[in-house]
Amino acid sequence: VRCQHHPPLRALQASAALRRASDEHKKEPLTSSSQQHFDSPPAGHQPEQEPQGPRSSYTGQGGQESEDYESEEQLQHRILTAALEFVPEHGWTAEAIAEGAKTLGLSVAAAGMFHSDGSELVLHFVSECNTKLSKLLEKEQKLVQLGEAEKKPIDKFLRDAVEARLRMLIPYIEKWPQALSVLLLPRNIPSSLNLLSSMIDNIWHYAGDQSTDFNWYTRRAVLTGIYNTTELVMMQDSSPDFEDTWRFLENRVADAMTMSNTASQVQSTGEAVVQGLMGAAVTVSNAETSRAESR
Amino acid sequence: LPGGGASLRLCSTRAAQEAINKPVIDRIIRVDHAGEYGANRIYAGQMAVLGRSSVGPVIQQMWNQEKDHLKKFNELMVAYRVRPTALLPFWNVAGFVLGAGSALLGKKGAMACTVAVEESISEHYNNQIRTLIEEDPEKYKELLQVIKQFRDDEQEHHDIGLEHDAEATPAYSVLKTAIQLGCKAAIFLSERI
Repeated sequence: VRCQHHPPLRALQASAALRRASDEHKKEPLTSSSQQHFDSPPAGHQPEQEPQGPRSSYTGQGGQESEDYESEEQLQHRILTAALEFVPEHGWTAEAIAEGAKTLGLSVAAAGMFHSDGSELVLHFVSECNTKLSKLLEKEQKLVQLGEAEKKPIDKFLRDAVEARLRMLIPYIEKWPQALSVLLLPRNIPSSLNLLSSMIDNIWHYAGDQSTDFNWYTRRAVLTGIYNTTELVMMQDSSPDFEDTWRFLENRVADAMTMSNTASQVQSTGEAVVQGLMGAAVTVSNAETSRAESR
Repeated sequence: LPGGGASLRLCSTRAAQEAINKPVIDRIIRVDHAGEYGANRIYAGQMAVLGRSSVGPVIQQMWNQEKDHLKKFNELMVAYRVRPTALLPFWNVAGFVLGAGSALLGKKGAMACTVAVEESISEHYNNQIRTLIEEDPEKYKELLQVIKQFRDDEQEHHDIGLEHDAEATPAYSVLKTAIQLGCKAAIFLSERI
């Protein structure tokens, strides 16, 4: 990946050489050809922090620009996805990213593209989980629209959605506390809050929330609380298949439903009381008027 | 990076289909929804004081139109998955107080308030129409139609206010300037918060 250490003057020569090399090795497995490219530069050369803009040297390595060309973002995406496999062993660290890069046939130096604290890896994972959840909820919604499935009541829907999302953490549950601490780093807080809020908004959208008043905020705040607390319970849960966690989740969602029912009951009682008082006031004033007239 | 990408992710099916400029549309719908909600509360306040007077029916009719506007924006808000402004409870009270307060100055005071608010709103809608046309008139055709219609309605309310001797209110220009400043601030805040 890191071809920028070839001085620009020799870029043409280098890319021509690489192109020849890659043409010869096109049929061979990717690992051998990339090793050829990366064993040649002097080991002392650290990857320089050059601006990540034009990736001309990378495309030079591949030769053709058209189909094989991959943006840097897509490459990072692939590396991070491959790195997830090594997280249970290495944690959310640069080692996991390096191992992931190796499986793609890239040099371990590819991990240098990312921060050393594994931030991008965690954020990537969370983003992928959210996308998976979105797709799952959309699929379920289609089934309901086609009449092939029953529309779930709100509490069951929320429970199932949160459970589905949290189950995605199970393969990484040992190292998840570390991920949470990474997500809470000041640098990552805007991104992690963004991901959390869009996930919660998504769940409410598919649950059928159509509120356009302050309820919009109340509902999302409540669900965020439920999600976060359930996640923390899950960290410490050792019951088979996390059944304690799902029971905790069920209770919290039930609490939220009760709270909202109570709130609407209080509101309608309040309105009835006000009406009663107004009626009493009108009656009293009428009585006074008629008494004054009859005198 | 993933975090940034998530914020650009087009989350509503409609947005995904049409690849709209979500931040711009978000702001437009949020502030318009807040505006119609506020207008509703203003007329409610005016009706509370002047409901049984001779201008009662006029105010009631304008209020009914604002209710329709609010309903439309509620639908658009759900369709485009826009977050409502967090200041709604505040506009609830402020709108009612403004309406009732201006009505306590008399019928002309209420009409002056109507003229000031509707003039601000018309100008604001015109700005939005310009923005949308600059973006892409074809893509936002439906939204443009709605805003144009509502702008015409608000303009009509403004003219009704003038017909009912709004300008004869004592300290008309002071009142009008103050209310319009308040409207500008409300628009600025509702777009962002």
